[in-house]
Amino acid sequence: MSLKIGSAETVAIVGENGAGKTTLVKHVTGLLKPATGEVFVDGKDTRTTSTAQLSRKVGVAFQNPDHQLFSESVEEEMSFALRNFGFAPELVEQRVRWGLELFGLEEYRKSSPLVLSGGEKKRLTLACILAWDPEVVILDEPTVGQDSIQKEKLAGTIRMLTSSGKTVVVVSHDIEFLWPMQPRVVVMKGGKVLGDGPAARLMLDKGILDTARVAQPQLVEFSQRLSERPGVPFADPLEARRWVEETGR
Amino acid sequence: MMWLSGGFIFRRGTSVYHRLDPRAKLLISVLMFATTLLVRSLYELAAVLSFMVAVAAVAMVLRRVGRTMLFTAGFSAIIFVLNFLFTRNLETSLLYAARFVAIVVSTSLFFITTSPDELEQVMKTFRLPRDVVFAFVTAVRFIPVMFLDTIQIMDAQKSRGLELEKGNVLKRVRNMIPVLIPLVVNSVVRSGELAEAMESRAYGAVPKPTSLVEYRARTADKAVALAAVFLFALAAYSFYFVFPAQIL
Repeated sequence: MSLKIGSAETVAIVGENGAGKTTLVKHVTGLLKPATGEVFVDGKDTRTTSTAQLSRKVGVAFQNPDHQLFSESVEEEMSFALRNFGFAPELVEQRVRWGLELFGLEEYRKSSPLVLSGGEKKRLTLACILAWDPEVVILDEPTVGQDSIQKEKLAGTIRMLTSSGKTVVVVSHDIEFLWPMQPRVVVMKGGKVLGDGPAARLMLDKGILDTARVAQPQLVEFSQRLSERPGVPFADPLEARRWVEETGR
Repeated sequence: MMWLSGGFIFRRGTSVYHRLDPRAKLLISVLMFATTLLVRSLYELAAVLSFMVAVAAVAMVLRRVGRTMLFTAGFSAIIFVLNFLFTRNLETSLLYAARFVAIVVSTSLFFITTSPDELEQVMKTFRLPRDVVFAFVTAVRFIPVMFLDTIQIMDAQKSRGLELEKGNVLKRVRNMIPVLIPLVVNSVVRSGELAEAMESRAYGAVPKPTSLVEYRARTADKAVALAAVFLFALAAYSFYFVFPAQIL
């Protein structure tokens, strides 16, 4: 496969189980080294750069938060990576406080991360990643176990990251979560890229989505069905949204 | 790590050895294990190891047994060094180191060709308590899951800047704490969930539950078992009476 992700882009990687999404993520972080071909992160060849060096630039929030939580308290958990990267103590404190506030976890500061709920653990892992301010943020299935309010907050965080110039890669099955963000979408199947382009275009391509076994967003499906009726002036769901906003209908 | 662990984990196969009655496979492994304890020279051990490799070839698991040998090579080297330091005898040290490899291979051959279900049936044959059988078989069944968990945890911690291979031995051991704690916690949580899932499906409701599969040894299984006993007796006889050992 050949894929280039530019700085400050928001990219969604979608595909069925076993499509190679997590493998791709592991290549970006240097956890896997390519047997053939090359992977470059910020101009650095991942084959010759350690995972520790790469992770200073690339932060990954893995799917299962239980795979990383081990500290006695939430604040220690958050400071783990910061200490690994050699941050000064006062900066560690500052970043921990920022992360806890951002994800509404201040009240659990002294609690064990193991007693948090599934959603809180997920938010904590994300806070842990953002704490060291990586240039690239990869979120592997970030919406699993999150309620709708937390999903909205997460979408807001992703927008905030994008607007602050971060490159954000979201690996997710949750098409409904991805659609409103209108990211660049990379559709994968069997380790190959089936489609790559803006969500507004790719999510309309039923052929690619069906091949990759990815569901269309409900709004897209709805507007496509509507467009089949006579007299409906739009086929594009984005146009539909504009139409609703303009006409108030 | 996952590649190496493949040397201990069962995968379905279609070889003649895979199709043998699990009790016959257990007998073969036990006898090979016992033979490795009987050997008194490197030549004898080489013969026993060759036999094990032949069995692995029949079972079409040569590569995986190769991985088992590679996996044990590190421990084997430690055994060699310690023995050599204390005995100053090269041959004895080599024998102990190689014997360790042979012991692991003999047990690995059983586990990589016997499914957890077959293992359960073997244990039931020995009339072991049902809970003991269940606990043991579940532990075996969860080995691949634990390996996968370990890799995922290591990946997650490495991506947070943890360098597992950095520093002296003490530092490296300390570096494993962020890996071991989530691994233990996950295992404890998983065992609790499993217990609840089993109870919700009426585990323990009947004192003597029936079994879906009843194993009956075929003539071929009995013949293989008899041949294994004969070969063991022949090996034991030749080690002690035909080729008296030069060392030990």
